[in-house]
Amino acid sequence: MAYERTLLARIDKENSRSIDGYVRDGGYQAWEKILREKPEPASIAETVKKAGLRGRGGAGFPTGVKWTFIPKDTKGKPIYLVLNADESEPGTFKDRLLIERDPHLVLEGMAIAAYAIGCKRAYIYIRGEFWDGARILNDAIREANEKGYLGENLKGSGVALEIVVHRGAGAYICGEETALLESLEGKRGQPRVKPPFPAVSGAFACPTIVNNVETIACVPLIMNRGAEWFASIGRNEKNTGPKLYCLSGHVNRPGVYEAPMGLPLKELIFGDAFGRGMRDGRKVKAVIPGGASAAMLTPAEIEDCPLDFDGVAAKGSMLGSAAIVVMNEDTCMVRAARNLAKFFAHESCGQCTPCREGCPWLLTVLTRIEAGAGRPEDIALLSAVAKQMNNGMTLCVFADAAVAPVLSTTGKWPDEYAYHVEHRRCLVGARQEAFA
Amino acid sequence: MAKITFQDAVTKTVEVPDGTNMIEAAKLAGVEIPHFCYHPRFTVVGQCRMCLVEIDGMPKIQAACTTPIKDGMVVKTSSPKTKDAQKSTMEFLLINHPLDCPICDQAGECKLQDNSFGYGFQQSRYDERKKQYAGYSRTKIGPRVIADMTRCILCTRCIRFTQEISKTGELTFLDRAGSTLVWTHEGRELDNDWSACAADVCPVGALTVEEFRFRQRVWYLKKTPSVCPGCDIGCNNSIESRGETVYRYMPRLNPDVNDYWLCDHGRFLSESLNERAYTRPIARVSGDDTFPGWEPVLDRTVAALRETTGANVLALGSAHLSNEENWLLRKLFGDTLGVPNLDVVADGDRVRTMPSKHGWIESSGVAAANLRGARDAGLAPRAGGKGLEDVYSGAWTPEIVYVADGAFSRDADHPDRVAALRRATLLIVHARTENLLTREADIVLPCASLAQKDGTFTNRFGRVQRFERAMLPKPPVKADWEILLALALKLGFGDPGWNPLSIFPLLAADVPGYAGFDEAQLEGGLTMKKGLFVSEGGL
Repeated sequence: MAYERTLLARIDKENSRSIDGYVRDGGYQAWEKILREKPEPASIAETVKKAGLRGRGGAGFPTGVKWTFIPKDTKGKPIYLVLNADESEPGTFKDRLLIERDPHLVLEGMAIAAYAIGCKRAYIYIRGEFWDGARILNDAIREANEKGYLGENLKGSGVALEIVVHRGAGAYICGEETALLESLEGKRGQPRVKPPFPAVSGAFACPTIVNNVETIACVPLIMNRGAEWFASIGRNEKNTGPKLYCLSGHVNRPGVYEAPMGLPLKELIFGDAFGRGMRDGRKVKAVIPGGASAAMLTPAEIEDCPLDFDGVAAKGSMLGSAAIVVMNEDTCMVRAARNLAKFFAHESCGQCTPCREGCPWLLTVLTRIEAGAGRPEDIALLSAVAKQMNNGMTLCVFADAAVAPVLSTTGKWPDEYAYHVEHRRCLVGARQEAFA
Repeated sequence: MAKITFQDAVTKTVEVPDGTNMIEAAKLAGVEIPHFCYHPRFTVVGQCRMCLVEIDGMPKIQAACTTPIKDGMVVKTSSPKTKDAQKSTMEFLLINHPLDCPICDQAGECKLQDNSFGYGFQQSRYDERKKQYAGYSRTKIGPRVIADMTRCILCTRCIRFTQEISKTGELTFLDRAGSTLVWTHEGRELDNDWSACAADVCPVGALTVEEFRFRQRVWYLKKTPSVCPGCDIGCNNSIESRGETVYRYMPRLNPDVNDYWLCDHGRFLSESLNERAYTRPIARVSGDDTFPGWEPVLDRTVAALRETTGANVLALGSAHLSNEENWLLRKLFGDTLGVPNLDVVADGDRVRTMPSKHGWIESSGVAAANLRGARDAGLAPRAGGKGLEDVYSGAWTPEIVYVADGAFSRDADHPDRVAALRRATLLIVHARTENLLTREADIVLPCASLAQKDGTFTNRFGRVQRFERAMLPKPPVKADWEILLALALKLGFGDPGWNPLSIFPLLAADVPGYAGFDEAQLEGGLTMKKGLFVSEGGL
């Protein structure tokens, strides 16, 4: 049975980003119904809970539960909803697609979520490089204001909602919700101490919910089609709903694919509806299942790996932002690890000692090994340094992300490191020469 | 209240109010949790990662400073996991640190040094090139402070000081990741009234105070509790001295007054304590200095005082003298000799402000510490008496002018005013530094500096605070109270056994409002050692 796309149902349609097209396709009905019937806000959170929607940004926290963390009495403080459209995880490009092709789906989701938590002013924190996305969202907000879906006293209901687009300035860490809030407030983007959590003290020290774009885009679907429909999709009741997968690397057809939560990883790489196999028929050597922060998987591990939160976690990695990067047999794992280490050494915010000092140290040692100047003790040093950086050693999980590629490559492909150190050259390169 | 247990070398349990920071709770239990970025007055940022501890029931290691305490919590401050985490942080902190302690001015008062010895390990596995900060090392970032980013551990204490305490916000993080550094915002200097405090809170040698840099190794310095002479807020400070030289003032914690801070104006008055122009009593005979020693000089003073009546004498106290000294002056001249002409003045100054724990406090705009105390002691013209203004205006010319502090005011360098005082037949001055008045005096009595005597000051709010002697004045120089007491004894008042500590109860019994002060209040809530009060060599 062909899978019916829902999140991406409209992206290929003409005028998919105009409000007329969206309303023509049945858009804003859920929002209008809420404005008309004014249900108890808690009932919306309850529906979302029942649907089993888990955050699509990386952590997979149940969205409906998150919404209920807003204190009952905010002591007169406003409540904010912040849409995390920073999409900074390398290999991830799903939110961008939603924003650029179906911005009103995102806005309707925000409107419903804002109603559910009692927010009157919501922010979209969009990655600075998404210039088009910011323009498209601003256009869409203007249209929605004109049509009375956003603004004051919407459709005579007394409900008000203003949405403001705020562009980031290009730091990876601003995808982390508290760093995002700091940046939103005009400060240097670096994660905050938790507790207090944003739901208690977030943007401008007010109760704040931060949700990912894809998460929010699921909300109108849940309201229109029902929590049962949403919960029926997926591998089990803890991993429900449609999911966007960002496939990249050495595959024949990279791209964003929508599939039920729990799609087998092999199906995504080799399936006809998805990646259609490896480029030039090469073998798979390693797969990053959830963006640069996720530990890499070996060919054996991807054999039976369902792409959902618990499925990937069972393999010792994480679904993260569902950015699947596939590497073929010609890839040098030392080089791959160094590439990622370079990224993390550049992006660490610099406030915690282990991360600020450890990331460049890892990069230095990896660079030396890759360049053929590695020492036998370097391999043990790499994992020792990496293990001094994660599991609570730092304020946020950036360092855990930064060491994941190092620990997974040194652990799973130790022979490549050993070859680099011993022969001062690359194992993969050596093989290619042997074939030639 | 929450009961919290620390498993250190010995297991200790304390009960603390909810919301107490774990590091403070540990202090109460007598357990040290090493830290850099935590400071009791700043927002907790949890970023140095030195205070990591293992907590029962939590799988991951936790930063003590950011973990809210809960009743029944068990914190393992020296478990293997805790020690490993602390060693890891120390290793990371040191990989780019110069490790040139012998030539670093912070050595001896460096938290990085202390924590490295206490919680680090001796070897480093890092043999790469250390980071360099071209253009950001040994550079003045303000009028007082020199920054050296090669030594910085990026704890952000200084940044938070300027943001949260001085509220001037000059400092910030620049760049990010391994290139992160602390500097001033573009186009700004670290220039505020408390700028040197940014160097105080710096746990390493990244920010140092230019005036003190490389002048003395800190382990040679003796710390003596004192009170700032700069204004009538009465900030608590320490005199840091070696031998007979004062090297610096450092703030001394008093949450009700100056908290952890000291303003630059007061701090850099320390150097003035080393000034000395007069080392011997001088009797000027027809314009020529003679040095007959204390006895003849005092006898001449006593003889002159006996020859005239009280109405012909002006006794001038000072807002720089201690309560005990001003009280002795009043008792001697006002009560014993019946002089109605008593007075005290203080120079005007801009209103100075200090961030106390309870908010901003302001001085009353005088450049002296003890104007209130001097007035409390009774230094004002009595009924029918004359004051300093009468002398300046020419309305009255006293026979004898006794100035208990030659540097009582800028008036002492004012030609007209000094000339007015000079019209007296006999001008007697206590003096340490030289000015127009001391050059004109007939008798100069060399007196001790603030660092060389004990006493109390009363700040503008009536808080009586004790300062202690850091060093003895070099004989024959005497403290002002010793000079006054010596005169008093010759005139039939006082007791040879008196010293500032024994004078205070007499003063308290005599001066309204001083009776209630007990020891604890005098000491600003802090423990102070009891010093020896009499100068060596005696009278």
